[in-house]
Amino acid sequence: MAEVEEQPVPASPQSEERSEAGEEAPDGGAVAAAADAVPPPAGSPGTEEAAGDMKKKIDVLLKAVGDTPIMKTKKWAVERTRTIQSLVDFMKKFLKLMASEQLFIYVNQSFAPSPDQEIGTLYECFGSDGKLVLHYCKTQAWG
Amino acid sequence: MTDDKDVLRDVWFGRIPTCFTLYQDEITEREAEPYYLLLPRISYLTLVTDKVKKHFQKVMRQEEVNEIWFEYEGTPLKWHYPIGLLFDLHASNTALPWSITVHFKNFPEKDLLHCHSKDVIEAHFMASIKEADALKHKSQVINEMQKKDHKQLWMGLQNDKFEQFWAINRKLMEYPTEDSGFRYIPFRIYQATTERPFIQKLFRPIASGGQMHTLGDLLKDVCPSAVDHEGGDLRFFTHCMDIAMCSHRIYHLDKR
Repeated sequence: MAEVEEQPVPASPQSEERSEAGEEAPDGGAVAAAADAVPPPAGSPGTEEAAGDMKKKIDVLLKAVGDTPIMKTKKWAVERTRTIQSLVDFMKKFLKLMASEQLFIYVNQSFAPSPDQEIGTLYECFGSDGKLVLHYCKTQAWG
Repeated sequence: MTDDKDVLRDVWFGRIPTCFTLYQDEITEREAEPYYLLLPRISYLTLVTDKVKKHFQKVMRQEEVNEIWFEYEGTPLKWHYPIGLLFDLHASNTALPWSITVHFKNFPEKDLLHCHSKDVIEAHFMASIKEADALKHKSQVINEMQKKDHKQLWMGLQNDKFEQFWAINRKLMEYPTEDSGFRYIPFRIYQATTERPFIQKLFRPIASGGQMHTLGDLLKDVCPSAVDHEGGDLRFFTHCMDIAMCSHRIYHLDKR
């Protein structure tokens, strides 16, 4: 399987959008490294999932719906315990949306997961071919 | 499923006697009396507490009233969890009535989702139904329904109309006769002893040998540490929302 990396800070920005995204990722791969993501300590209760699983990070593929701006980087390696809300916050920054603008995320092109839902759990139940595909849209697509 | 109708009715009409008290630091113009209410287990806090809000707003100035939120013994209560689950998870050991504290200030952004209107609750509820059907039927049943059927599910819940709700929900609980069950069982296991939100995995109703999986099979498979007997008492609650509202089988384990 192809190695999926978080977007590295670009060496030579090709577009304004890309360079600004680069500037905003000093934490190095914004999605996984933000300060509020605290992985559970090893051996703590509730790590049954981690024990049996090979993957610490989930490969997420982001697909735009309709005329929603397209993420320049579509593939991301995301920590299991990242929430949908956390991913949305990151995408809004990356897409340079205003805080007031909404971004809707869909799984299986059929339901919008709760903002506090974890990427790892969604991947367990709805992943395929080693990745979780998420569609996103600025307006409600599948209700 | 018709044999279980009594069970379905018992689940639907389950109630928790609750006493709502205004948080002491809220600013009031006169003393706020507690407010008593029977909460439906299968519903959501923000859907059934309009009267609670009105009651406390009567003794407060308009400018002191922001988005309402609820707390039990210091823990903010997630409105998007069913009421019965919240009670079983946080307060099942305590005497009734369940004492909930009402807040209008200092909304805990890190712990709670906002709920600015009933539409938010409806959207959350429908998303749960859709997620469950994605597991049960690859979304075929929910997608074949018309918008008015979806609306009927929601209205049934909102207005506490068992028959209205189940007229539609029974279709979500059926499977073709050639199959022996759903594709996967929609379930979530909540544990009082951990910070993790819940356990949710793929689990088939039928084992490879053709026999039906039991609850014990499920627990052993997805939550082995909880069925480990370390001399502790394993207490297991069936919230039994499953069939009722969002077609999840929701259980929680409280390992003592």
